[in-house]
Order: sequence, then structure tokens, then C-alpha cells
Amino acid sequence: MSELPEAGPWDRRNTDVIPTRYRQPDPEPLEGDFVGDRRRLFALAVKTGLLTVLTLGIYRFWMKTRLRRYYWSSVRFGGVPAEYLGDPLEKLLGFLIAVVILAFYIGIVNLVLMFLSYSLFQDNFVAYLLSFAGVVPLWFYARYRARRYVLARTRWRGIRFGLEPGAWGYAFRAIGYWFVTIISAGLLWPLMTFQLEKYRTDRTWYGDRRFEQQGRWTMLYPAMRHVFLSVFIAGATTVGGVYGSPLFFVATALCLPWFGFGLAYYRARSFEILANAKRAGDIVFLSKPRPMRVFGIYVLGNLATGFLASLVLMPLGLALMGLIGAMIGTQDVVDFSMDSLTSGALTALGVASYFVFFLAWSALSHSFVTLPLWAHFTETMTVIDPGSLAQIRQRPRDEFDEAEGFAEALDVGAAI
Amino acid sequence: MSGIIPTVPREGLRGVYFDGQSAAAQEVRLVMDEAAQQLVLRGEVADVAWRFVDIRLVPDQAGRRGLVLRSIADPAARLLTAHRDIAERFPARHRAMVQAERGRILRWAVAAVASVALIVFVLVPTMANQLARFIPPEGEKALGDATLAQIRGALDETSGIGLGICSSAEGTKAIDTLAARLSADVELPVSLTITVLDHPMINAFALPGGHVVFMRGLLEAAERPEEVAAVFAHEMAHVVSRDPTRHALRSAGSIGVLGLLFGDFAGGALVLFLTERLIEAQYSQGAEAAADVFAYEVLMAAGVPPSALGDMFEHLREKTGDIEGISAHFLSHPSLGARIQEARAATPQGFEARPILSEAEWTALRGICGKTR
Repeated sequence: MSELPEAGPWDRRNTDVIPTRYRQPDPEPLEGDFVGDRRRLFALAVKTGLLTVLTLGIYRFWMKTRLRRYYWSSVRFGGVPAEYLGDPLEKLLGFLIAVVILAFYIGIVNLVLMFLSYSLFQDNFVAYLLSFAGVVPLWFYARYRARRYVLARTRWRGIRFGLEPGAWGYAFRAIGYWFVTIISAGLLWPLMTFQLEKYRTDRTWYGDRRFEQQGRWTMLYPAMRHVFLSVFIAGATTVGGVYGSPLFFVATALCLPWFGFGLAYYRARSFEILANAKRAGDIVFLSKPRPMRVFGIYVLGNLATGFLASLVLMPLGLALMGLIGAMIGTQDVVDFSMDSLTSGALTALGVASYFVFFLAWSALSHSFVTLPLWAHFTETMTVIDPGSLAQIRQRPRDEFDEAEGFAEALDVGAAI
Repeated sequence: MSGIIPTVPREGLRGVYFDGQSAAAQEVRLVMDEAAQQLVLRGEVADVAWRFVDIRLVPDQAGRRGLVLRSIADPAARLLTAHRDIAERFPARHRAMVQAERGRILRWAVAAVASVALIVFVLVPTMANQLARFIPPEGEKALGDATLAQIRGALDETSGIGLGICSSAEGTKAIDTLAARLSADVELPVSLTITVLDHPMINAFALPGGHVVFMRGLLEAAERPEEVAAVFAHEMAHVVSRDPTRHALRSAGSIGVLGLLFGDFAGGALVLFLTERLIEAQYSQGAEAAADVFAYEVLMAAGVPPSALGDMFEHLREKTGDIEGISAHFLSHPSLGARIQEARAATPQGFEARPILSEAEWTALRGICGKTR
């Protein structure tokens, strides 16, 4: 690893006396670029989604792999695309391992909980609550393991990323910080964001180079300003509306979209603050996402997804209405077989529209929400390498039997 | 910055090579060695030869202006080049690279299927059978109430408040008379709650906690009160043997496991439903046969010929047709033809039948939903 120049990574050293072959590369900003195309991604998502439905879900491991390959190869720094090397069969294997372990837990524990809940409380609420509580640590555990798997299967410039083991430590901390966040009514949210990000980042490697999250958790408070302000003003105007003029309620209503913007603002600004305080040796990062753009993608992207997905449903909806009309028409004649025939067709149509809507929704949401978000965060990011990138060496392959099996089985809802 | 992949091929073919050992980018010249059938990469340090047949395209790439190539002989190394046209020289470029071990996947697949089968078909039913005996009556009743509410919600297509319950005063009185006659000599673990749901389906079922539920369609399809009595006796058998409680506990265990297996994709819910039905049919055929036998005894004690159950099935068959073969597997009852014959055979020669309801009571029962058809 080279020495850190006094004037920072931008300092250009005098290289004239060193023969070209042996000289250190100049400090180089590796600009982020995103080359993914929304129509091609849409086509890929529809195709793989269809295969998933037709294979009763087996193809979903291939679907996930192919979509990730596309996303990863879209992300480029300094013109070199990242690469995703996960194997669908490996994912299937991991899923099977998780099933062997979880089937026991879910089958037996849920049965016993249901029995105890009805026996002792005459209600199933307690069973659901305890069953959920039992899965929470497993859920965070699965998230960390999934991240470890995904990083181990990510390469850039031929070099692997990696994440050190530590899933139970993560689950333990995540529960603790979530608890603190909830009992502080969200005031300590930045503490949770920072500490969990630090836990993950400090265990992340690129080849033989370790990442480090610097800074303090309090530096995230400016990013929370719109969330806090909108909640505070909503509270104040509600009090004003109750004890003063009802006009105050207009301001309260305006606080809801403001709060939504606040969340997007926090997402963008906290990403920026954390990225700019990360380093990998002397390689540093410069991130400048625009909160308004992130908010726009969330709002317009989801609106477009909802609108277009419901357009897809229109022909099916019309057919459904026609059938219901036909059924009402024939009901007085009392012909049971006719009745069951129509209701069979109704069921088939219902199932078909469910599939079509699901497919359209997930493919559209990839095209209009996930892809634009990835594009924006990548394009506003720069990796600043003062010349040590070329010295990074490969790390050994992280053989990882269980892959992201638990995450898949518990559906922990990763980004893609 | 436009990137490090050179786009203008002035002096022959060029590319960027990553050796998979270091993150350093090496600019290389590409030489197509047609004689040796290999691609030679030459740079300041690099001097590598990849056989044409070993070269693969890295799949699902978003970039369309260049190629990302790899060789099966050196899995970690990558070559980036702007010359898309050279891809045609590599005959196996679209072939997949095998990474995971197939044998281990197969072993885990077998283990997963075996463990799920063990849990769903052995462990969960065994535990459900044991636990069903220990659940206190109030708990069982609450379980039944929750299940009935779920069924009413699921079958309701219009109002959104759940399927209506039929309860005309005379109709209720008639069905209570019928229930009292039949259960007079039977020792029930819980008291019976009889409900008629306003739905055209020809069906009746028992739920945990002594719930016996009739659908309006069944009352309409029956031609004599004895047929309703026969169905009632059958459902009462389920209550006595606590089949519904076992079923509900079993579902609590097995639905979660199957949901886990199929995951949260589009068809998840549907496949789940079908599979659950399949399992149900597997273990309730024995229970159904036992309930029929129990019903014959109850009916004869009450002066109703067991053949009434057969008559009811006959009507059911006329309305829906007997279902045999594959789809019969999905219905939780043995095939109707066999049951009709058994019910007729169970009626002794010269059996003296007594009417179970008066003509007026029968009319009231059929009108319990407030309309006659």
C-alpha cells in the first residue's frame, strides 16, 4: 500500500524521472457509470418471471442470478463493469439446506405455538406474535449471510469482494439497535443506521484490501432534518387545529408528502455521508446523490408501475365482468352445471390475472424504480484511487454451501 | 472519462486484461492465431494464450459496445475488448460454465424432500393427533370459531362482511329437533353448534369445538329429512373423533412448511392450496370411512335407514358427476359410488324406519334461509 500523500489523493506526483514501466499510476478518479437499459431489463424480467411461474418457482434461482448479472454488469467504475458470479444451482442448494433446517422449526414450533395459544389464551394472536418474534433474529442473520454470499460472488477488475463471518453478531446488534430506535420514537434512527453500516463495512474486503467506515453516528443527524421537521410541524399544527383554527389542518395534510420526501432525503443523504466517510486503504469515495431525484424516482416510478400494471389487467377485468354478467343472467334458470362451468372459468381468469399482474408489477418495478435508483447512485459516485488499486491482490474463494438459502426461504426482501 | 476500454482499433485488435490475481489493468494486443486455434494476449507483462474452444462470453451483460470474455482454463481472468466481431471465432462462447457440484446438490435435494416429507406426513400429523387430545374445550371452541369466520370470509364474494348465517325460527327449531334425536345416545366430547350458511354449494363439514356446518345447497339438494340426518350423523362422527381439531393443528404446522418450500413467488399461494388439499385427501380417506361406519350406527339407533346416506350421495352424484382418477385425489372423500353401495349394504333387511321430522318441520328446515326454491 502506498503512503498517503500530504495534500490528499488528488495530489499529482512528479513522475518524470521514473521510467514509465515502473512508475505509480497517477491519482485517478474512476467515475461511476450505469449502462443498463430499462427496456432490456424489462424484457429479461418478464422472460425469467414467466419461466418462474411455469416451473412452479424453481426457476426463481435462475431469474435472480440473471437479473443480478444484468445489474452488476451495468455498474462501471472507470469503464470496467462489475460482475456477478453466483451460480443458480448453488442458490438452489443453499435454499434446500435452509429448508431442511427451517422446515423443522416452522412445522413443529408453529404447531406447538398454535396449540398453546389456543389452549391458554383461546386465541391465535399469541401464536402469531411468538412465531414472528422467533423469526426476527433469524431474519437479520439471513440478511447478513445473504450479503456475505453476494459480496463473495461479486468481482470487479477480476478481484473478489468478501465479507467476514459474523452473522449472529450482526443479528444481535440489529435487534438491539432496532429496540433502541423504537423506544426512542425514531430519534436514535441514525445511531442504528451508522452502527449497522459500520459493522458491515468494517468486515468488507476487496481482494486483500479492507474497507473501513469512518465518522460518527451523529453526523447523520442533518440527513434526518426533513423527517424530524415534518413530524414536528404535523404535531404542532394538529394541536393548533384542535385548539385554534381548523385551517391548521391544511398544513398538517401537507406534512405527509413532506415526510415522504424526508424519507427519500434521508436515504440519499445518509448514503452520501456514509460513502464519503468510507475508505479502502487510501482509496476513497465521493458520492453526490440528489435527494429530489431519489424522491422523484420513488414517487413517479411507483406511480408508473401501478398505472401500467393496472393497464395490463384491463382486458382481463373486462372478460371477468362479462362472465359475471353471463352468470347473473343464467342464475334464474337454475342450471347447476352451467353455474359451476362459469365459476370454473371465473377462477381460471382470477388466477391468470393474479399471475399477469404479479409479473407485470415486478418487471415494471425493476424498470421504473430499481434500475433508475441504481443508475442514480452509481452515476453520482466516484472512486478516487491515488494509485494503489493495481497493488490489490486476489482473495481466496469463499466456499459458501448455504449461499443465501435462509434469506431466500425467509424472503428477507433484498433489493433485487 | 470515457473508460479504459479502447474503442478505436488502429493497430490491430486491442483489449484490457485482468489476470485474476491483481486488480491491475493490463492493456493487451489480441492476436488471432488461426493455426493454433488460440487467442494470444500480449501486453507489457501479459503473455497469455486462450484456446478458441475454451473461451466463453460472460452472460447477461448490460454493455452492448464491447465483450467481456473468460476462459475455462483460467476461470478468474477476464478480457474486455471493444471488438464485438471476434466473438464469432469462439464456437463454445454461449456454453455455461459449471461451478457448483451436482452430486452434492442432489444429495441435499433428497435430504430436503425427505425432511419435509417426514415433517409434513409423519411428525406434524403425529403431534397434531397427540395435541388434539389435550386441547381444552374452550381452546378448541375458539379454534373452531376462528376457522368458521375464515371460511365465511373466504366464501363471501359480494358483501365483504362474511357469508350470511341462515336462522329462521322454525328452521332452527327443526334442525335442533333433528340433532337432538340423533345425538341422544352419543357421548360427545363437546356440545354441538349447528350453523347453516347461505351458499349454493352442496356441502357440509365439521369444525373444531363441535361445529357442524351445512351449506344451503345441501338442504336444497336433499329430497327427504333422512338424507340431511345421514349427513349430520357423518359430521357428528368427525366431532366425536376430533378429526377437525387434528386437521386444524396439522394445517398450522404443514402450511408454514409448504409456504417455505414454494417461496413467495406468483404461484405460491395457489400451489400451496392444491398441495394442502392433496395432503388432506391422503390422510382423511381413512377418517371418512370410519365416520361413515359410525354414522350407520347412529342412524339405526334413531330409526333412520343408513341407505339415506347413499341417497344423499346419489343426489350429489347427479348434480356434480362422480369424480374419479386424478382429480378424485383432490377431493377429501372416497369416491361416491363405493360409498353409496356401502351405505345400502349397511341397511339390514326389513329395517323399520321412523320419520325423523314431520312434513311441517321438513318444510321449515328447507326454508331456514328465508327463501324456498
